[in-house]
Amino acid sequence: MQPMDKEFMQALARRAGLDKALAEFPDDVAAAAAQAASVMARLKAPADPRAEPWPAMRAGDGL
Amino acid sequence: MNVGIEAGHGHLHFMTVTDAAHAIAAKELSPVELMQAHLARIEKLDPTLHAFIRLDGEAALAAAKVAEAEASASRLRGPLHGIPVGIKDIIDVAGLPTTCHSKILDGNMTTADAVCVARLRAAGAIVVGKLSTHEFAIGGPSFDLPWPPARNPWNPDHHPGGSSSGSGSGVAAGLFPMALGTDTGGSVRNPASCCGIVGLKPTYGLVSRRGVFPLSFTLDHVGPMTRTVGDNALMLEAIAGHDPLDPGSAAVPAGRYRRALDRGAKGLRIGFVRHFHEVDMPAEPEVTAALEHAMRALQMLGADVRDIKLPSLVEFAAVNRVILQSEAWAIHGEWLRTRPGDYGKLARRRLMPGAFLGAGDYVTANKRRAEMIAAVNAALEEVDVLLCASSMDPACRIDRPAEVERTYPRQARTPFNVTGHPALAMMAGLSSGGLPLSLQFVARNFDEAMLFRIARAWEQASGMDKKHPPIG
Repeated sequence: MQPMDKEFMQALARRAGLDKALAEFPDDVAAAAAQAASVMARLKAPADPRAEPWPAMRAGDGL
Repeated sequence: MNVGIEAGHGHLHFMTVTDAAHAIAAKELSPVELMQAHLARIEKLDPTLHAFIRLDGEAALAAAKVAEAEASASRLRGPLHGIPVGIKDIIDVAGLPTTCHSKILDGNMTTADAVCVARLRAAGAIVVGKLSTHEFAIGGPSFDLPWPPARNPWNPDHHPGGSSSGSGSGVAAGLFPMALGTDTGGSVRNPASCCGIVGLKPTYGLVSRRGVFPLSFTLDHVGPMTRTVGDNALMLEAIAGHDPLDPGSAAVPAGRYRRALDRGAKGLRIGFVRHFHEVDMPAEPEVTAALEHAMRALQMLGADVRDIKLPSLVEFAAVNRVILQSEAWAIHGEWLRTRPGDYGKLARRRLMPGAFLGAGDYVTANKRRAEMIAAVNAALEEVDVLLCASSMDPACRIDRPAEVERTYPRQARTPFNVTGHPALAMMAGLSSGGLPLSLQFVARNFDEAMLFRIARAWEQASGMDKKHPPIG
């Protein structure tokens, strides 16, 4: 996965509503975006695309 | 090798929960005397250790007087009658604020006990106060928050681990004999490892999370922190059990976790997960030596030890991070949008990555999670218990952010938040610098009794429960 460029990172931050953080703490927003990119790069997809996520949906009463 | 202080039971502040409870039940020890000893210790050491965000000493002493009257009349509330307990400040205690060590929730008064606190009180325990944590249980040792970070009693220039920092520091230093912590990526077991105590992350769903401020719903656990294995089992017996109002609570009754404590290691099959600390994240040589020593000691006690392979730590960590950051963003997103300046720098940086993850990443992580659960279950069909590293390094200095940043992820705890299996961290020895080294045991789901059995065998063989920090 490619690291995010600055414009893309800022667009994602704005889409998430982080305009204030972007204005006041731009380094922290950039560090968070870099962390997300780094962790996504290390996440391997399961070999079988049909694999179910955990926990599975179960019918129930809810809260 | 530094040996620390070899303390017996001459000091009330280092008395075990088990011994103190027996002495109170036998009317040989007054709960007031016990509480006063701890409050004196807190007054002496907490200005250095900063384990407390809020000490509730007056109320604790008043409760100890009630407990004393009840004990005198042979009316014990339960197996923890009159025992002081510290509570991590993301867990609600009625009448006290839950701040999560953050300006965001400063003054956040609560009206009801978390279920785990209510169960401790029902067993007779007395809350002494609310304890330091990393901000919202994720930040790290930070100096830009309303309260200072806790310090390591083995050397106050070093961090005590986190995020249950005050819990680990205070139990190790004898400020209280037991504490509650929470563990989402290792936050009970990290301070247990750094401070040389016993920290348990129970099976997911065994202890109710109701009344605990969440970090990541599917990874959060509440766990007991004590100085001995027996005390840990005793504390777990008090807090475990089904809670129908916690959606993640398992429909299982609390167990008798002390039932196998003294059965020893003979005949147990132990899987040694060597690749965690030898290949995935090569540990400091002293940590590797301590793990080898523990493995051989358990062999000498009659255990059958074999190597076991699991997915790599890098894979476990990636799954843990994607799930944690996605779920944490769902909790903190609104505050991060409107009040980013009210977070400390570390928490702000660690809570915002979820804004950059997609729904597909979260689902992919949970698909991998299912495979990882299957891998650990398969390993635990071959053996009774796993032995592996906890921290790859002893605690570094608290005033070196780059070292904190480098060493914090060097650990083997997150795998068992991902899979939900019970895992216990405890001391494996002391470094040449006089800081605790650690190991970790892992068992099948809901088989905490097995964890306590193997941990007790190691504790008795090594005498780790007799080592206390050279402070005060």
